[in-house]
Amino acid sequence: MKPTHVLCTLCLLVAMAAPVADAQNADITVTVADERGKPVADAVVVAVPADGPARAGTKPRDEIVDQVDKEFLPKVQVVLVGTPVTFPNRDAVRHQVYSFSPAKRFELPLYSGVPQAVVFDKPGVVVLGCNIHDWMIGYVYVSESPYFAKTNAEGKALLSDLPPRDYVVRVWHPQLAAGEETTRKTVEASRAHRADVAFTVALKPEVKIRRAPAAGQRGSY
Amino acid sequence: MPTPLEHGSTAVRTLPARVMALLALGSLAALHGTAARAEWDLAAAAGLSYDNNLTRAQDGVDKRAAGAVNANVTAARFIPFSGSDSVLFALDGRAEAFSRYSGLSNLVVGGSASYRHKFGLGAEAPWMSMSLRVSYDDYREDLRTSTRLHARAEAGQRFGAQFDASAGVYYERRYDNHGESIVPGVSGHVFDLAGQGVDVRAGYAATNEWYLDAKAGVRRGDVESTSQRSLPIFLASSAITDDPVWGDPNLYAYRLRGTTYTGALTASYAVNDQSSLDISYEYGLTRAAQGLEYITNAVFVTFTHRY
Repeated sequence: MKPTHVLCTLCLLVAMAAPVADAQNADITVTVADERGKPVADAVVVAVPADGPARAGTKPRDEIVDQVDKEFLPKVQVVLVGTPVTFPNRDAVRHQVYSFSPAKRFELPLYSGVPQAVVFDKPGVVVLGCNIHDWMIGYVYVSESPYFAKTNAEGKALLSDLPPRDYVVRVWHPQLAAGEETTRKTVEASRAHRADVAFTVALKPEVKIRRAPAAGQRGSY
Repeated sequence: MPTPLEHGSTAVRTLPARVMALLALGSLAALHGTAARAEWDLAAAAGLSYDNNLTRAQDGVDKRAAGAVNANVTAARFIPFSGSDSVLFALDGRAEAFSRYSGLSNLVVGGSASYRHKFGLGAEAPWMSMSLRVSYDDYREDLRTSTRLHARAEAGQRFGAQFDASAGVYYERRYDNHGESIVPGVSGHVFDLAGQGVDVRAGYAATNEWYLDAKAGVRRGDVESTSQRSLPIFLASSAITDDPVWGDPNLYAYRLRGTTYTGALTASYAVNDQSSLDISYEYGLTRAAQGLEYITNAVFVTFTHRY
């Protein structure tokens, strides 16, 4: 057999094997709504295998959290533990990004452009702030499991390509009234059908530091 | 000595030219801001006000009340040197027109510089600032036209996303040389004033839209009061002149030494991140020698937009 034929055969086998591998995995569709039935956007959904650790060897991708018009974009970023995250400043004014969160304490001194990446090496929620613009707030959710997603405006998220097994699925959101652990649900993910799971969560009212012009000061004799 | 009417008629100047000048200044600032949007923040505001005692008079018969409309533009440049230190330079222009007493209508151009230091990292780090503001207040009736200086030191802190508070001390000076002496040996520069004060302020964000602000202060120094002739106010005053603004020849302006207690409440509604609508009420009680005292009440409605 000619070498070219061997190569073609191998390519064909790989091409055929890939869909088979996908077909062996499962998807979980998650819907998150608040107590009034309103879809909750920017909710983090994480699936952790119920019977053991998550698939090893998943390499974290580099992620970014931009600063655009003096706001963090996205407001909520989900990353796998160990992920380097850069904080590019797209504004013409300088920012000083910091976090006091136990999962990652850091400070990027006043900067423009793209600073050095910060590696998020512990699972947990990292709250971001800017020391120059106090109203800026953002979140990096550091997941210990590679199976995570974030809900869209319709409150929907898709956890895809999960090895078939039981998972504990939980939800986190910046305004979540109770702890993330209270949202745990066990879901069976099988290759036969897509699992659908719905969460109803209680949210606290969000009061942000005011960005709008403050009440003017007056005074005369 | 000119009568109030004569005084007014000779001193009154046309406002339109000044309004045009202010608008031109604002336009230039806006254009510059567009060209260098990153460095300059522009804000414009328009509002209504009503004051029930514009004359700062003790007796009801001397009190004059009126409403006014106002508009102002501010161009500010914020320069952070580090995460902790920053300076802010601002230029502003303001026009105010009174409904009844046109002599009070005025144009103001001013500039300020302030330095701010934050003691640490984060939104809740305490801060202090020092600022100096100079303005030229050009009144339609020249008596009140003056140059003002205001120096202030302030410190404050935020407590979570909803509460913040600050306290400040200030010195202010108003330079005026328009008033004519009408009593031999007694100055006519009634609006040549100096004073110093302290104030405290607390703010509470009830929701993302509503912000409530309360402020209280005490000021010691020169104040102005307009009233009919009386022995107590004559004895307590350090300057006296005609006050033609009110169209009443029996009213005179006096400069007194007094203590003013003020309180203000503001409810501010954030229309969006760039705009707010403020409704404020201000109360003032001034006590001077000879048992003189007057009370003022004023309300303000202001819409502010930051570009």
